[in-house]
Amino acid sequence: MTDHFSQVTLNALADGELTGDQLALASEHLAECPSCTSKALYQSLLKSATAKAGQRYNPPSQLQERVASLASQANSERLAHGSRSFWKFQSLGWATAALLLLFSIGMMIEQRAADKARIVAAEDAALVTEVFDQHVATLAGNMPLQVVSTDRHTVKPWFQGKIPFSFNLPEGLPRDTTLDGANLTYLGNQPVAQLLYSIGKHRVSVFLRQRSGEAKVNPSLTERSGFHVIESSTRDLDATFVSDVDPARLYDLANTIKHAQAGEKQ
Amino acid sequence: MRLPWKKTAREVGPQTSAFERQALPLLPSLYNVAFWLSRNESDAEDLVQETFLKALRGFVSFEPGSNFKAWIFRILRNTYLTSRSGLAMRRTVALEDELKGSEEAGPARIPEAAIDRQTPETNLLRMANRDALQAAMETLAPPLLEVILLCDVEEMKYREIAAILEIPIGTVMSRIARARSALRAAIEGEIGSSREFRT
Repeated sequence: MTDHFSQVTLNALADGELTGDQLALASEHLAECPSCTSKALYQSLLKSATAKAGQRYNPPSQLQERVASLASQANSERLAHGSRSFWKFQSLGWATAALLLLFSIGMMIEQRAADKARIVAAEDAALVTEVFDQHVATLAGNMPLQVVSTDRHTVKPWFQGKIPFSFNLPEGLPRDTTLDGANLTYLGNQPVAQLLYSIGKHRVSVFLRQRSGEAKVNPSLTERSGFHVIESSTRDLDATFVSDVDPARLYDLANTIKHAQAGEKQ
Repeated sequence: MRLPWKKTAREVGPQTSAFERQALPLLPSLYNVAFWLSRNESDAEDLVQETFLKALRGFVSFEPGSNFKAWIFRILRNTYLTSRSGLAMRRTVALEDELKGSEEAGPARIPEAAIDRQTPETNLLRMANRDALQAAMETLAPPLLEVILLCDVEEMKYREIAAILEIPIGTVMSRIARARSALRAAIEGEIGSSREFRT
């Protein structure tokens, strides 16, 4: 660098803004140029003197206090806001969690109820199929009944020791209805009393078994291949009636047998 | 027993104390520059207070690790520009035009004769006169004064000054050159008048 420094270079030198290479060149030039050295010195002195002279005004103490209090107040407000936000967020979080929990529990209960209903429905369907098959087998095979009697005092005692429960047979039967006899059979691996009645020329199977699950307060009627299946419950027993007879007459018999379990007479 | 929200409350604290930690030590510098620019104590106080308020509000957007000093000085400068004294300064269109013209033409060169006339010792004596230099600084136009304050008093780099003033670095360099030339001329004028007074 042989040319004299420009004002910008002198300033950059004084302000420490020259790069390493520029500084090396400048140092080289300063070693040979008294004029630029004098200017550079002046520039540096001016800079340091300006720095000192520029430090002229000190903030009044009340401003310092005001600003410090401002920052502190903002700090407190932010803390409070942060805390409020946190609580708000936390409350919202808890509420959401509670809602989700309730929703999950509700869903679970509903799911379980639905599952249970499906199981009951499947069990019912399986039972209907089974009793229907038993009834049809009894009719189709023309197999002799295990106990053939129209006397309830013969039929009922025949089951003693064969089934783990007892039942009553009605003394009076609906019109045109007779007891034909009974079988010991099994439904769902449980011993069941199958009573055979005739209503007119229609055969009726009545399956009595120990009650499992909830009682059917109101008898339900389902249809299966032209046969009617009524399911009913007493305090201790479940009863299923299968026949192709008029459902109203089947209901009559079902009510008669149901009342007999409670010791009532129709 | 440790309560679960205590941790959160403590976590909020350091963020704000970080502001206090960084901003409060800069109060003297901010006030000094504010006073130089506004030339008025109450205006300077208002300017600083407003700067702190704005900085507090905007601190959430401040990127940690970046230049806090440059950031808060930029707020101060922008606040000043919208203040009464700042608006008055901005109305000095003629000066700006003059500056623009000189910036475009490059930095003013000090006449060689001016340097040769003075010995370093004389200049040193004059510059050591704090009042004389302050008086010279008072004569500087605000755009020149602010660069000299940021560069010499606050010891900021050209890059930082350019960011604060939102001008190119080249403009920063030319304004610094212009400001120092003006200071030098003012000091020499003082010397001349003193000599005349003494004779």
